[in-house]
Amino acid sequence: MPRISDRAWSPYVAGVLIGLLQVPAFLLMDTALGTSSSYVTLTGHAAALVDPAVAKIGYVAKHLSGAKNWWQVALVAGIALGAALSAWASGTRRGAMSPVWQRAMGIASPAARAPVAVLGGFLIVFGARIADGCTSGHGLSGLAQLAVGSIVAVAAMFAGGIAAAMLLRRA
Amino acid sequence: MSVLQAVLLGLAMGLVFGVALEKSRVFEPGAIVGQMQLRRFIMLKVFLAAVATGLAVIAAMQGLGMTKLFPKATLYGADLVGGLLLGAGIVLAGACPGTVFAQLGAGYRDAWWTLLGGLAGALAFSLLEPTLAPMINAGSPGKLTLSAIWDVPYPLLAAVFAVLIVAGLMALERWRPWREEVGEAGDAMGEAAAPLARGRAPGLAD
Repeated sequence: MPRISDRAWSPYVAGVLIGLLQVPAFLLMDTALGTSSSYVTLTGHAAALVDPAVAKIGYVAKHLSGAKNWWQVALVAGIALGAALSAWASGTRRGAMSPVWQRAMGIASPAARAPVAVLGGFLIVFGARIADGCTSGHGLSGLAQLAVGSIVAVAAMFAGGIAAAMLLRRA
Repeated sequence: MSVLQAVLLGLAMGLVFGVALEKSRVFEPGAIVGQMQLRRFIMLKVFLAAVATGLAVIAAMQGLGMTKLFPKATLYGADLVGGLLLGAGIVLAGACPGTVFAQLGAGYRDAWWTLLGGLAGALAFSLLEPTLAPMINAGSPGKLTLSAIWDVPYPLLAAVFAVLIVAGLMALERWRPWREEVGEAGDAMGEAAAPLARGRAPGLAD
């Protein structure tokens, strides 16, 4: 039986738990699991404070309010809380950055990691918004509904990821 | 449902999601870069186990008439281009849009930079969307699903795919046991024994 104090659980136990989250998403929220549109809700509100005209863009406007948008913002906040709880319970709190960056990209300091992380962060959300979904919306939910566009998007994610990763050193 | 109820539900679901991401170690950049180099398969294992479970539970709910499906519109060009950018970004970020939050929770300080980049990406897309929308939506055939194209009831086809995925995962696990991939430090930088030493050819097991 997996315990919260364990350092690692089987990926299959974790995957089943994540898949089961589709039940409350479908039955209670009338939507499928997803995470990347929460970024639009958050930046839409922030940008509208600076320039109210941003809230008039149709795409931004439909992400600003309503139960579904705030549900997804709460979902990503809950992910951070859950991971914090889990890491605290098992004594696996992390520090400045993963050792994989030194190994794969020769990045030795947090200052050198920052621009790469910003660029990566930009691409994951910009790309997800172009495709209308990320590894959750297209990956977990789209594939589980056998959606054709999601199959194309997930294949492209792995193609782009494998191409980029092969340029790096052995991770 | 009120916004407050939705937020409480979201927090509760996110809590489970976050624990699962942290415990499986899939939130580790080592798992994500290792997956894209086809060196470690933790990400594929968690991902496919979640998809197979999703197939099973959504098939049951839809088959029993408890819910309809919510597939996204098929946008071939945008799915392809967006997916490629997202994939390349996943390697540089060592994260997907959702796992960034697990990294923040677990304490990785560089994830704040990833989050900042992600928010900038959302803002850039929001401002460009009126210009990009005609290109993104051009020639969309609508919300295509395999069950509609092949004219097979969704619950039946979903069950078939779920079984195929489980069979694939069982082969993958025999080829690359998860405990070896997670490694001693739990940073998902462990090395499973070389496939040749196990008498199997390299490559995806399924």
